[in-house]
Amino acid sequence: MGDLLVARGLRKRFKQVTAVDGVDLTVGVGERVGLLGANGAGKTTTLLMLLGAITPDEGTVVIAGHHLPGARSRAMEEIGFAAGYLPMPDRLRVREALRFFAGLYAIDGRAAEEAIAMGLERFRIAHLAERLCDELSSGQRTLVGLVKALLHRPKLLVLDEPTASLDPDVALRVRQGLEETCREDGTALLVTSHNMVEVERLCERVVFMAKGRVVADDTPEAVAAAYGHATLEGVFLELAADPRAEEGVA
Amino acid sequence: MSVGQFSWRRTWAVSRRQFAVLRRSLPKWFDLSVWPLLDVVLWGALGAYVATNDAGSRAGTPYLLAGIVLFHVLFQAHIAVATGFMEETWTRNLLNVMATPLREAEYALGLAIYGFAKLAMGMVTVTLSAWVVYRFDTSSLGWVLVPIVLILMLTGWALAQASIGLLLRYGPSAEILTYGLIFVTMAVSGVFNPVDALPGALQPFARLLPTMYAFRALRTVQAGGATPWDDVAVGLVGAVVAAALSLVYVVHMLRVFRDRGFVTRFS
Repeated sequence: MGDLLVARGLRKRFKQVTAVDGVDLTVGVGERVGLLGANGAGKTTTLLMLLGAITPDEGTVVIAGHHLPGARSRAMEEIGFAAGYLPMPDRLRVREALRFFAGLYAIDGRAAEEAIAMGLERFRIAHLAERLCDELSSGQRTLVGLVKALLHRPKLLVLDEPTASLDPDVALRVRQGLEETCREDGTALLVTSHNMVEVERLCERVVFMAKGRVVADDTPEAVAAAYGHATLEGVFLELAADPRAEEGVA
Repeated sequence: MSVGQFSWRRTWAVSRRQFAVLRRSLPKWFDLSVWPLLDVVLWGALGAYVATNDAGSRAGTPYLLAGIVLFHVLFQAHIAVATGFMEETWTRNLLNVMATPLREAEYALGLAIYGFAKLAMGMVTVTLSAWVVYRFDTSSLGWVLVPIVLILMLTGWALAQASIGLLLRYGPSAEILTYGLIFVTMAVSGVFNPVDALPGALQPFARLLPTMYAFRALRTVQAGGATPWDDVAVGLVGAVVAAALSLVYVVHMLRVFRDRGFVTRFS
């Protein structure tokens, strides 16, 4: 399996705080990877560096052969991004917002309409197409965000807390839509989440971060076993509570 | 799909998104209709009152109306681009946009196209209002309007770039400066009065502003003098320099924005 995303030695400090401290991360073609850790572990900062929204102090990011920051635009053509905490633009109807993002991926006209229709259908929200984005519930916004992220059929889908604060039925719909996308389109996935059960179902590899470092990188079963737990939930709780977490076991 | 080249589709997507918002944004329609009309009524009335008391005054209706009509070039050019960018920050859409292939130049051009169209709409309102309410024909000022409008438009865009730079650097709390900048410029540019009428401490600042030369040229022509090409030339050069400096500033602020992780302020 070739590597679609390769990040080496990522480091980022904000004043006196080291948010990310020498992170190496790879995602293979079609691979589904969960990036896990407690609040403040450095997951979001890492994701933002992978997206080119934050410049690392040290380290390199290569996406589908395109180096950041120089080839950021080309690299972003291969990535779809959505975050559970980000709304879609107010004052636009869902279809208008999706057309806007399709345009940003240089998809226009009929191809855009087809991609929008397919995405809305996949996540079963075609009935929301003419609704204003600021009228959507948080679950509906998340689903629209996923449709947005998949409009250009990216090779890699980067999701930050996609199911945070969602009802279980909506979270299930999100997971089913993602599984369908990954299966049918061969899309790779890099997802952060606090829902360990969801990650165990969705991801074939998990990367645990604590205090800005990668402390475990393996299959969910192997990571759980390495920490002496039956599930990732136990690992998460141990790492969140353990001051030695950054020393790691992987 | 574009393969990393400049993309007109992406540029047009930015413009089209702004037009879609404009259709539903009451405050933006106020910028285009109510404020221009109120300004015309207010300054026209003031000019009419002054003329009633002193028929020889140069502060009569035509002088004040020409000033406010042309100030709206500066205002509309600035506000369209600055609030166009703020549309992304108000709706916490900045990270969504940054995580796409959109290039900075494509975004800036898309915003400028929208800004130019909105400026044109605002100018229709303000010139039409001046004619309907006070029978003031802006075109009577002649061809000198062309370089004066260019100076004001470029300076308006420069102020908008500066506003965007401030927002990137200082976050949403800098929004107030966006509006403040334009009114400070109005006060110091001598929109209605010669710079000599300003407090002495402000006069050196006024002489640094390209807008000051534009309004001075306007008044000279209105007073029946020959077109002061020296003022026009200094104003044009100053506006180009201001636009270039503001571009350097906003590019630098974008680098700071990425270095310091300020995107999290808007997400």
